[in-house]
Amino acid sequence: MKTKHTLMAALTALALVGCGKAPDPKAAEETPTKQAEATPALSMEAPKLSIFCWSEYIPQSVIDEFSQETGIAVSVENYASNEEMLAKLLAGGGSYDIIQPSEYVVGALIKEDLLMPIDHSKIPNLKNLDPRFVNMSFDPGNKFSVPFMAGSVGIVVNTEMVTEEIKSFSDVFQDKYAGKIVVLDDAREIVSWGLQSLGIPVNDVSDENLAKVKPVISKWLPLVKVYDSDSPKTALLNGDVTIGVVWGGEGAILLNADKKFKWVIPAEGTHLFVDSLAVPKTAKHPGNAQAFMDFILRPEISAKISEAFPYLNPNLAARALLTPEQLANAASFPTDEELAKMQTFEDIGQQASKVDEMVTSLKVQ
Amino acid sequence: MAGAAPIPIGATGPASYRRKPGLVAWLVLAPLLIWLVLFIVIPTAMLVMVSFAERDSLGRVVYNFTFDNYLRAFDWVWLKVLIDSVWYAFLTTVICMAVGFPVAYFIGRAPVQWRGILLMLVMVPFWTSFLIRTYAWITILSRDGIVNGLLVASGIFAEPVTLLYTPFAIVLGLVYNFLPFMILPIYTSVERLDGAMIEAAYDLGAGPTRAFAQVIIPLTSPGITAGALLVFIPSIAMFAITTLMGGGANPTIGEVIFKQFTSGRNQPFGAALGTLLLVIFVVALWLTRRQREQD
Repeated sequence: MKTKHTLMAALTALALVGCGKAPDPKAAEETPTKQAEATPALSMEAPKLSIFCWSEYIPQSVIDEFSQETGIAVSVENYASNEEMLAKLLAGGGSYDIIQPSEYVVGALIKEDLLMPIDHSKIPNLKNLDPRFVNMSFDPGNKFSVPFMAGSVGIVVNTEMVTEEIKSFSDVFQDKYAGKIVVLDDAREIVSWGLQSLGIPVNDVSDENLAKVKPVISKWLPLVKVYDSDSPKTALLNGDVTIGVVWGGEGAILLNADKKFKWVIPAEGTHLFVDSLAVPKTAKHPGNAQAFMDFILRPEISAKISEAFPYLNPNLAARALLTPEQLANAASFPTDEELAKMQTFEDIGQQASKVDEMVTSLKVQ
Repeated sequence: MAGAAPIPIGATGPASYRRKPGLVAWLVLAPLLIWLVLFIVIPTAMLVMVSFAERDSLGRVVYNFTFDNYLRAFDWVWLKVLIDSVWYAFLTTVICMAVGFPVAYFIGRAPVQWRGILLMLVMVPFWTSFLIRTYAWITILSRDGIVNGLLVASGIFAEPVTLLYTPFAIVLGLVYNFLPFMILPIYTSVERLDGAMIEAAYDLGAGPTRAFAQVIIPLTSPGITAGALLVFIPSIAMFAITTLMGGGANPTIGEVIFKQFTSGRNQPFGAALGTLLLVIFVVALWLTRRQREQD
């Protein structure tokens, strides 16, 4: 009999594991509320706030501090890509008060009239922002969004294995580095590198330009060993590859981990991403959402976020609080000259799936 | 796994006598029927419906009837991905069978008091999330990992070899993850295997090879078939292991479908690929069932 019980338990375990994917670690966590301290300005709304943000981007300690100070109970849900966020938001599955889209998604959401305008008088800390990160082309006048963190895509070189100087995308994708390269698993990114190497603006994703980029990328992709957007640093740290084209934040962590890694901003120019905070039209607590935006823009809070996740902080007052070592990290903070050459993405609509199809077909060629 | 559920219901065969089920029988069945309708019938119908739809620029589904998604799906690019995925799944199934059968046979023939413990040992790895175990394989197989360290230290190879991010790593990951799905069904067959049958085979002059091929294999074939299906079907569509251990340079059909629902912003096309995959599974199940009925 005992055997049968064990078998049953075993099969139950299998049934659970067999579903293919482990549950997301997004468990909505409620933080305890302190009703008494709620500020009068927010009293029209229930003291609640639902945040839908990237994983590994807003430290829990910052969220806890906001809850304690305002008495607003915060629930957090995470996503791993802009498209995942869009899919959930548009399906109307949950009611979110704050989302954290990247620049081209902000543009698309504004175009589709899916964002709520923000009231600048409720967010006085907007004054702390670097003028270069406000009034950007995807949201003129910041009517709908507040920049949270920015960053670039760049090249990480393991100088112990690669002695030659790498300056550009075309230096990376050379036959001698075949099987030694990790790149972001992101079709839009890969196509943008090809466009930049041809001197075409990254947002001109017409059929004609895609046809021009195709031969370039078809030479590049067979050289790639690993495609990874979540943690491209792993393959570099393990020694399986020696060159990577990765997010600035990942690069910053590698630079901190080992002196042998070097950060290079491609000579052709690169993608500057600006992740913003925005309030969807369907939000139930827009007042609390704006209170959170203002809280995030406080210098000491923003500096705390930078400490946990070393991206390019657009908050000038917060940057004044960072240590010289943090500011000297080339992957976190590009020079003004490098920054001037970077381009932000705009929404490319239906072309997105053509880009995806092209890159997939070149991967399997 | 749910796809395997209908087999026993249909497999009762002509020998079982029929009568009209009463109200109580329906009440007992109700939870199962509701579960089937809610989590299998409706989602599948929705998938098929979306596969004939269009989408707007943000990726929202627009219900205009079109065959375009299916016309695109028959492009050589996706067929090649599908063939690769089927090939990995086939290799995984064959290796799982070769490794799993002896293990299952050994456990099934072991003294009764040992069987529970041995089965537990098969299941122990499942107490941790398969994602964590897959990440462990990344550490083991990497260039600076344990395997390469041993190979170089023992002088077998002068230089570390590339193990991770290759088709080898994909199949290894799949075999490791799905092996218990092969062992458990074969074990149940072996446990029921009548030892007298094997003795009879020997008494009638059969050698070990013949006894194995003509007595043991046919008698345990239900377990082998069930195990093969349980390994083959999820292996085709698995995308987490293939992405992590294959490095994404050899995309599988599961990965491609996943991408359509996310970065590709093309749910209808993903749904069309998913529906085609479903058709393949249904045909495979139908063929094995017909095979069984003929036996």
